[in-house]
Amino acid sequence: MKKILCIAGALALLPFWTSAQEIELKGKELFGDMTARHIGPALMSGRINDLEMHPTNTRIIYAGTAGGGVWKSNDGGATFNPIFDDYAQSIGVVTLDPKNPDQIIWVGTGETWTRNSVSIGDGLYRSTDGGKNWKEIPGFENSERIASVIINPENTDEIYVGVLGALWSDSEDRGVYKSTDGGKTWNKILYIGPSTGAADVIMDPNNPNILYASMWQFRRSGWGFNSGGPNSALYKSTDGGASWNKIHNGFPPGDLGRIAVAVAPSDSNVIYAVLETEDKSKNGLWKSTDAGANWEHLNNDFGLTVRPFYFSRITVDPKNPDVVVKGGLSGSISRDGGKTFKNLGNMHSDIHDVTFHINDSDIMYSGTDGGVYRSWDGGATFEIVENLPLSQFYHISVDDAEPYNVYGGLQDNGSWYGPSSSPGGVNARDWNSVGYGDGFRVLKHPTKNIIYSEMQGAQNVWRYDVDRNRTKTVQPLQEKGKPKLRWNWNAPMAVSSHIPDRFYMGSQFVHRSDDMGDSWTIISPDLTTNDPAKQNQLESGGLSMDNSGAENHTTIFTIAESPLDQNILWVGTDDGNVQVTRDGGKTWTNVTANLTGIPANTWVYHIEASVHGKGTAYAVFDGHTSGDMKPYALKTTDFGATWVNIVSDDIDENAFVRNIQEDYINEDLLFLGTEMGLYVTINGGKNWSQFTNNMPPVAVHFVDQQAKTNDIVMGTHGRGVIIIDDISPLRELNQEVLAKDVHFFKTVPFTMVEESGFAGSFGAETQFVGRNKSTSARIIYYLKKRHTFGKMKMEVQDMDGNKISTLTPGKSKGINVVNWNFVSTAPKMAEGKTLAFGGFTPMRVPAGNYKIVLTKGKKTYEHIINLKYDNSALTTLEERKEQEALTKTLFDMVEDLAYMVYEIGETQAKAKAVIQDHPKGKKSAQKLWDALEGLREDLVITTGDNYVASAEPELRERMGDLYSSVAGSYDRVSDARKRNFELISEEFSKEKDRYAAIMAKEGKKFMNFLEKNDIDKPAVKPKEEFLKKD
Amino acid sequence: MKTIKSLLIATLLLAAAPMATAQTADEIVSNYFENTGGLDNWKNVESVKWTGKVDLGGMVIPFDRYVTKDGRSATTADVQGQMFYQDVFDGETLWGTNQMTMEAEKSDAESTANYKLEAKDLISPLLNYKEKGYTLEMVGPETVEGTETMKLKLDIDPYMVDGVEQPNSVYFYFETENFVPIMEERTVTSGPAKGMTIVLKYSDYEEVDGLYFAFSMTQGVKDMPGGQTLSMTGIEVNGEIDDALFSFPEPAAETDKK
Repeated sequence: MKKILCIAGALALLPFWTSAQEIELKGKELFGDMTARHIGPALMSGRINDLEMHPTNTRIIYAGTAGGGVWKSNDGGATFNPIFDDYAQSIGVVTLDPKNPDQIIWVGTGETWTRNSVSIGDGLYRSTDGGKNWKEIPGFENSERIASVIINPENTDEIYVGVLGALWSDSEDRGVYKSTDGGKTWNKILYIGPSTGAADVIMDPNNPNILYASMWQFRRSGWGFNSGGPNSALYKSTDGGASWNKIHNGFPPGDLGRIAVAVAPSDSNVIYAVLETEDKSKNGLWKSTDAGANWEHLNNDFGLTVRPFYFSRITVDPKNPDVVVKGGLSGSISRDGGKTFKNLGNMHSDIHDVTFHINDSDIMYSGTDGGVYRSWDGGATFEIVENLPLSQFYHISVDDAEPYNVYGGLQDNGSWYGPSSSPGGVNARDWNSVGYGDGFRVLKHPTKNIIYSEMQGAQNVWRYDVDRNRTKTVQPLQEKGKPKLRWNWNAPMAVSSHIPDRFYMGSQFVHRSDDMGDSWTIISPDLTTNDPAKQNQLESGGLSMDNSGAENHTTIFTIAESPLDQNILWVGTDDGNVQVTRDGGKTWTNVTANLTGIPANTWVYHIEASVHGKGTAYAVFDGHTSGDMKPYALKTTDFGATWVNIVSDDIDENAFVRNIQEDYINEDLLFLGTEMGLYVTINGGKNWSQFTNNMPPVAVHFVDQQAKTNDIVMGTHGRGVIIIDDISPLRELNQEVLAKDVHFFKTVPFTMVEESGFAGSFGAETQFVGRNKSTSARIIYYLKKRHTFGKMKMEVQDMDGNKISTLTPGKSKGINVVNWNFVSTAPKMAEGKTLAFGGFTPMRVPAGNYKIVLTKGKKTYEHIINLKYDNSALTTLEERKEQEALTKTLFDMVEDLAYMVYEIGETQAKAKAVIQDHPKGKKSAQKLWDALEGLREDLVITTGDNYVASAEPELRERMGDLYSSVAGSYDRVSDARKRNFELISEEFSKEKDRYAAIMAKEGKKFMNFLEKNDIDKPAVKPKEEFLKKD
Repeated sequence: MKTIKSLLIATLLLAAAPMATAQTADEIVSNYFENTGGLDNWKNVESVKWTGKVDLGGMVIPFDRYVTKDGRSATTADVQGQMFYQDVFDGETLWGTNQMTMEAEKSDAESTANYKLEAKDLISPLLNYKEKGYTLEMVGPETVEGTETMKLKLDIDPYMVDGVEQPNSVYFYFETENFVPIMEERTVTSGPAKGMTIVLKYSDYEEVDGLYFAFSMTQGVKDMPGGQTLSMTGIEVNGEIDDALFSFPEPAAETDKK
């Protein structure tokens, strides 16, 4: 008894010994090989923060991007590849180790050009293998933005890091840090205060003990920006950062703002600085020719003074101290030591960084709001890098076309729509412009070919009639007796799913139009807090006024009409209000007080009105503009009377939330767009799992679901549009499924899409091309364990168990997706001197049910799928059956010929052997060989090659071509093909007769000889064995 | 008898224990060779011939791949009865079939030199990696194919990329449950995929003459679905291989060779 107790006790200690143990899979374990695809666009690319040149290898260039990670070029900037996709995508700086630049790369995260829409970083990273793997360097987790990483070229264990720090709050993590042990330990060597960060730290290229640090006092809020203060200053150290002195001799008195600084690599005494001061006439370029001891003001042109927070990068030609380039709206270049400047050549505006080729200063690279540009003529002409899909969407939407289109607006790059799939992939030329300026929401009219788009602050709202190519601006305007309208930079728009011509917009009021924007009615009071303290945008900017409208506040930010009731409207404001009406705007209820766990005045970034209940809605809140990066998402089922938190600890603590999308079928399946990527829950928010399969932790600003395809479509702010095709398997996941060894997910009938459009791939060598959605049957199953040992096979069989095709099964733990392109096998072709390309076409299968048979070890699992013909087919069913029958006839004919040629070959081989070894039989053998060779030469090509030395096509080639054209056609069999078939059939019959005649005459004699002399007959395999394909 | 059973279980548990604890990169590789046939047996492999099929969207192509310990290799594929040769290396000359003329052509000098560098790795880059002067490093745990693995980095000889010498590494992902590699990664150095990462996924391990080989290999681009799978139908270790297979054929006379 004691023993039993002991055992029971021991068992009780085992943590897994419970029947109620839930299987909890996370991330890659759960999603297996469900993979996101990126469709760009790349034609307007996106914002670049920093460019870095390899110090010795001119082919290698790095681009640190504002929201799309780090990209590396191995071909001198012709193309780039992403190398930082598992980490924060907002990049401050990329620095290569001077001694080991091939292997050691440092990346400081967090964009440093601090516009209103910037994302956040999460620290410092290093790769020691050229960017293939990265490790986070402890100590910088809360840095938010790293502006500089500089390394002593003589002792690469000595590293300095400039932390600009938090944009929306105080932070003691700011300052200049130094490591003397290769990054293991760090000391903060320059710290001014919690609101003053290191905007730039540079090293004298000729003396590693001399450092310059530009310290910047700055702060942003949701409603304003302040650059400058008494703490902004330019410092110099001559002792490796042990002591620092301000070097302001000559600078005007008073506060300073952001300071740009650069040392001429070819002359350490020449230093350039760009100042933002209290005296407008003293702004712009300053120069020192004595290493910072004294300064002279040289230039305050617009190009030098414009928006210092956004443009503070000076680059000096590595070979000539008089050639100076300054980032700016257009970028400026001086060739007289900074006295005069002209604009750089035409390129996308907003130039953040410019670099020179290490050997040839005529070659320059520029990082802009619209990607990376190259110049070959000293900055006079620029061309864009075409494969950087860094587009920064604020918003996206989809329509119900087939394939559906994606609509959206971009930071500084207008509004666009493009197809989710396109022949040859989604190309630059597939995207259509539908708006200027900064683009935000773009919505398709539900029934008409009309698109609504807007630019910043609703300065223009366009109604674009696509068919007639006409636009009309339709934004609501201030009316008599009404206050001035306050529009968010990213003003909300919504179309009604109940009344197609109904269109909503939000200022501080909700505006409703029932005639597509021609006339408007205000249907709400001011729904914001209307706090006047947050409405002083004229004072925004600090030392340099910056009233772009980007800081407009106390505005409505999201409007959601219930898909179940046109009278239910939800509104969220940027200052924290959630309001709902249930009577089409007659009365509004402010439910803000009912929110749980949300700090007051936290930006309501999105409200999703549910399809699962009239009173059900989701709201997400974003506090990042007050320094609160925590994720917030709530759900209500009673019109906002009560709310429950649906965020779990699985979500990164700095992954503030911008959007949520519910699944239209399974209420517990939700998709959360956060600053650190996409999270998915299958249990209503109890647990969340980050989706990381080809999905970087990029800021996801908007998530939509395409109802027909079940695709999740994301508008990311840095990597364009990213799509996860058909998420329906996630609806089925539950404990019962997760406990099974193998589970096939339900599939709807697959349409065998008929398309044969042309797809030119011109330019694809250097252009980004977005991957298409597969049009194949997607066989999706779950594996409890990764299959590693023993056999695992997958076959398609007809319902009688005959094998149709062999597929390659996925073997991942979690969800596996196997594509089948609705074909069986290609025919076995007769052997010739060259290839018969007609034989590369496999037969398509007819519509109907098929069995998918998965064999894993000794176990077999089956799943039935249904295939149907394309509704847009050009044929009647009868015509299609004729086409299928003729395909099969030709397939068999091609294989009959193959077997005949094989028999001939084997017989000829035997004849040859007899000719060589049996003089007595030589004559009959030779006769037979000659007769067969004559025949063979008419059956297959026996000379030439596969290109321009090709011979005249023989029966095999003509038969193969006919087979291929009939098999590959979606149309009825044409008369021309039928007649050609008659001809080829007759010819084949004749050749078969000829073969039979040869074998009856010369063959018979030869066989008799073999028999008499006891020689083996030709070793001809049975036809079935010969035709066997695996 | 009972005692024997207990001992057996204890031994099994002990034997399994190291698998669960942290291992060095070197231990993972040693463990792999020991568990898949023994290091000595792997070292005794003189040649391997893989026979398999690749399905190109309905067209099934049979192939053979031969490698030898002394650094020779050949891949032959039968397409409509025509033999195509790829990656054929006799120790000095790298050659393959031109698909237009069907004639043998030599590869460029740089490809040949790079191939020669890696010829000692044809059985496995990990075999005798120390003697070859390679360095092995533990990168850390990573989930691939939905399962937990340990990622190892093997620095092999630097190679030339369009005239510039560059470091070269191969990454291996060993499944923690059974310590065989289930994935390998390399960087593409030329062609349209230059700079991208190519992954090779291994599965369907089976025993051949006491050694375990993957009978399924899928090659694709990292993070992209699909790829091309080589399904093995047979693997032969230390079989007879005709030396002539590897030699660059002398130019054929202008006659019909049939």
